[in-house]
Amino acid sequence: MNTKPVIILAIESSCDETAAAVLSDTNILANIIAGQEVHKNFGGVVPELASRAHQQNIIPVVDEAMKKAGVKREDISAVAFTQGPGLLGSLLVGGSFAKAFAQALNIPLIPVNHMQAHILAHFIKASPPGPLSEGEGEQSKPSFPFLCLTVSGGHTQIVMVKDYLEMEVIGQTIDDAAGEAFDKAAKIMGLPYPGGPLIDKYAKLGNPLRYKFPEAKIPGYDFSFSGLKTAFMYFIRDNGLDNTCTTPEEFISKNQNDICASLQHTIVQTLMNKLRLATKELGITQVAIAGGVSANSGLRNALLAEQEKGNWKVFIPPFEYCTDNAAMIAITGHYKFLQGDIAGQDTGTKARLYF
Amino acid sequence: MTTISTQKSISIRSESLNDLGKAAKELLSFCGETKVITFSGNLGAGKTTFIKSISQELGVTDLVSSPTFSIINEYRNKENIPVYHFDFYRLKSTQEAEDTGCVDYFFSNTYCFIEWPAIVEILLPDEYVQVEITVDNDIRTINATHKQNNK
Repeated sequence: MNTKPVIILAIESSCDETAAAVLSDTNILANIIAGQEVHKNFGGVVPELASRAHQQNIIPVVDEAMKKAGVKREDISAVAFTQGPGLLGSLLVGGSFAKAFAQALNIPLIPVNHMQAHILAHFIKASPPGPLSEGEGEQSKPSFPFLCLTVSGGHTQIVMVKDYLEMEVIGQTIDDAAGEAFDKAAKIMGLPYPGGPLIDKYAKLGNPLRYKFPEAKIPGYDFSFSGLKTAFMYFIRDNGLDNTCTTPEEFISKNQNDICASLQHTIVQTLMNKLRLATKELGITQVAIAGGVSANSGLRNALLAEQEKGNWKVFIPPFEYCTDNAAMIAITGHYKFLQGDIAGQDTGTKARLYF
Repeated sequence: MTTISTQKSISIRSESLNDLGKAAKELLSFCGETKVITFSGNLGAGKTTFIKSISQELGVTDLVSSPTFSIINEYRNKENIPVYHFDFYRLKSTQEAEDTGCVDYFFSNTYCFIEWPAIVEILLPDEYVQVEITVDNDIRTINATHKQNNK
């Protein structure tokens, strides 16, 4: 029996982060992200800048990951990369690098679905143990089946996870993502990018029940946040012209904390209501979250409250594995490698990719 | 219903989400052979929602959702023919938009639905259809015009 660990080098470049990670079995040895500060000046992700920056970042990031992990090229068992979904130009940079690397070393190439990877981030082990985010100690792992709510700027999904590589999207947004609802509301309020964390910050100081916003009535486990955006826009416009304020700006500055708290409460409750419905109907009580919005304190608190009531067992990964990262690509690559699910050089990147 | 319109512009009134499908049919008929369509209107006017209806009329079975984050969404219909959905809301310049490769899509003779098109107007083909959506008390007015892009 070969006891040599499986070492995976993983590359992530689906959107605005260039990232590389090295994983030994399920232990993370290095997880490097080259953030693209430049985007803050542009109010969002700029694709051209993104792909150019990916090209500049990719070699230094891989180099740093391998140094930090203390592995040499010949130690690597396989190269995993984000196949999609994402921006084609950005995906191509990581995909081409991974293909060239795998070909040069004559090792297997493993294409990974970014959305599956967000979920499997729950199975990453920190190595050596700690330091983990927020002193949570070694994370307990969900067991199958569990439900995962993946929420980010571009995605909102509830996924039923039956096994490492067997999962089904049972609900998703039919229009805007939850993170987009935060960011667009922030933009309506004139807050700088990224707006979501700022709304969370002000929300902590405000009254979440002061204002009422509509929650979309969508069948099943699907979501809709487009109507909330519209309602929020009219809310700001109309309140800016009532008898206590003369402009929307004045209304916002006087009531910023309460507006943010009420908006966040609405978004979080919308997510929670669908999760409650799914857990009840499917009889699954293990609930995990993934994606950048899982950093939101309102969402975390609402989930932990359900756990305290004894209804659910809740799994929240350390923050560095919530936002886009390569460690999650590596862990997915690990499970695919064990199943022999590898690809040839003819594999490609795909902007549109489902699972 | 005529399939090729000789009109330069039409105005379609939609009183509820339920008749957006009918509005989508009318728009497609008005567009005729023109496949590049821009959509203007305020945040929340219903651009994405209307594009969803039009895509459904074209037989798209994929989920049509906001491309604000992704910039370009690609959908397929039952015959596996692509439909492209763009959103340039977050981009700041024509150069940035051009660098996404959007021009290749615009001239590919496939349906291209473009939200927040201001920065790409000079990149559009000679002929395209401009759609403007206004909302007043839940009643949408959809004005569409055949445009000539004389560069």
